[in-house]
Amino acid sequence: MKKIIISISVLMILSLLTAMGFYHAEPKLTEPPWEQKLEKAKEKKENQESEPLVPIYVKDNVAYSLQNMELSVTFDNGRKWVQVPVEQDSLFAGEYNGNKQELIDQSYILTEKHAVFLYQVDSRIKLLSSPDQGKTWQEYIVTDHFSPIRFRKVTFLNENFGYVIVSGDRTMSQEWTSVFITKDGGETWSETNHSGVTRLIGDGGFVDESTGFLSFGTINPTEPDLYVTQDAGDSWKKADILIPEKYQEIFVMAETPLKEEDHLAMLINQGPNGDYEGGKVKGKFLSKDHGLTWKFLMEVHPNETN
Amino acid sequence: MKRISGYALFFVSLGLFLLQMGYMIFHDSFNVEYSDNRLFFVINMLIVLCLSFALSLLFTFSKRWKVMGVSGVVAFLLLNIIFGIIHHGKIRNVVSVSPDFKHLFVMKEKTQTNEAIYYRTYFGILAQPKERLPYQIGDEYKVEWLVNDVAAFTYNSPDNKIHQYVGTYGDRGGGGSYYYVGPSIHGKWRGENVTVTTTAEGITVQEDGEPQSFDWDHVVQFGTLAIVLVNNNQAQWTIALNENFLIESQETIPPTGEITLYKATMTDRKPMRLEYHDGD
Repeated sequence: MKKIIISISVLMILSLLTAMGFYHAEPKLTEPPWEQKLEKAKEKKENQESEPLVPIYVKDNVAYSLQNMELSVTFDNGRKWVQVPVEQDSLFAGEYNGNKQELIDQSYILTEKHAVFLYQVDSRIKLLSSPDQGKTWQEYIVTDHFSPIRFRKVTFLNENFGYVIVSGDRTMSQEWTSVFITKDGGETWSETNHSGVTRLIGDGGFVDESTGFLSFGTINPTEPDLYVTQDAGDSWKKADILIPEKYQEIFVMAETPLKEEDHLAMLINQGPNGDYEGGKVKGKFLSKDHGLTWKFLMEVHPNETN
Repeated sequence: MKRISGYALFFVSLGLFLLQMGYMIFHDSFNVEYSDNRLFFVINMLIVLCLSFALSLLFTFSKRWKVMGVSGVVAFLLLNIIFGIIHHGKIRNVVSVSPDFKHLFVMKEKTQTNEAIYYRTYFGILAQPKERLPYQIGDEYKVEWLVNDVAAFTYNSPDNKIHQYVGTYGDRGGGGSYYYVGPSIHGKWRGENVTVTTTAEGITVQEDGEPQSFDWDHVVQFGTLAIVLVNNNQAQWTIALNENFLIESQETIPPTGEITLYKATMTDRKPMRLEYHDGD
């Protein structure tokens, strides 16, 4: 019995000495409960921030992420992320009703090396560009004054020539569409002459430094409404699209033409309400006069378009 | 008898030991601390003292073991005293017992940063943090119990401004609390050379003929029993409802009982009792 009690006593004293060491080493005050909650919320946020980013792929190895209210890009399949110095909200500025989980289609360019983002801050439309996988960023002003944008598109055809198409100031089915072009890689931008059309723009683009198109009519279109410039936007003419009778009021929305060998090719889709052969079939049209007149070539089924 | 006392002391010591270990293991998860951090060292000493007396009553030891045992106990006690003093230098404990011994005012200050936290106590020896004081504590402070369940903690901040924090302990009379102290003392209250007048605009304290007015933006309520009147970010007066204070639900019937007025100053000032005078 003596041995047991003495052993317990020794054990108690040793435990007390250890406890005393701990107690003495770190004198602290317990935080009041609401401050603890605040601290926990902060920790939770920090943990969330340290969660790996989920890439949204644009092409092999190149992806972006909008997690944590920040835009980040990766050029090596997510091994290294670069934070883009832009406010996330400005990327969705203007008339945008999405959930901000993905960037607006055509409002950015991500290639193996380049990253370009089109955004709006107050009335200013800007371009943020990196030529070296996000190591350096350059901010350019496309225009100082523009109403909140609806349609937005940026594309570069080569290192120097690029264009921005934006629309805004919408009332019902009318809006103002502007085209800006750059010939020095985005440093300076000039607005082209206005096409004179105030219908809602559906798509647009240039096929070379002088030939460009604007395709109008997104709400219940009955025929394609395509305007073409052959002098880099100085003047715009309505293109003549010869639609066979069979496809009248079926192929109604022109997509941006592309260069094909010695001519231009364009797909015309069925618009939001098309139901011809499932609604996905498009008509392929060709132009041999730089986009002024278009002739029907063939039907293109969805699996052939890519 | 010796044997019984020995075992009793041993079990007392074991009980205290279990309390101490339980505290060490669980105090973080339950957000509790000892009311006074030095209690940890006091309990340590009690355990060892009880244990050594228990062993000396239960068993006989050789002289050599006795000398070693006593030396060990003395060393342990000294170590606890030294650690307790050092610890108190890091965490300053302000503990004050209410005049009726029912409540404990506990404030702890981390001396390195001067940040202080007010605690609510449980079973006398345990305390949970309630809130952080809005200002750091400077060199001087004092605790004054205005009534049995209201303690005023007066302190100066490092920028030499005087502040008051009031600890109030529970509501009176089974939930019949006075939620808004200011309006409940509407009317004129009079004490020795001092009056407090509460109107819809605010509270005026007149001492020796010198009035000081505070609009409602400068009245800070603590709990359900006290308010502090502030001016220029400094506390000026604390008003507490006495235990005999009673207000009827009908506005026409004046309150009965007393209120206590206490000046926010580091000099020695006693709380003043005021009685309801009239409703003008």
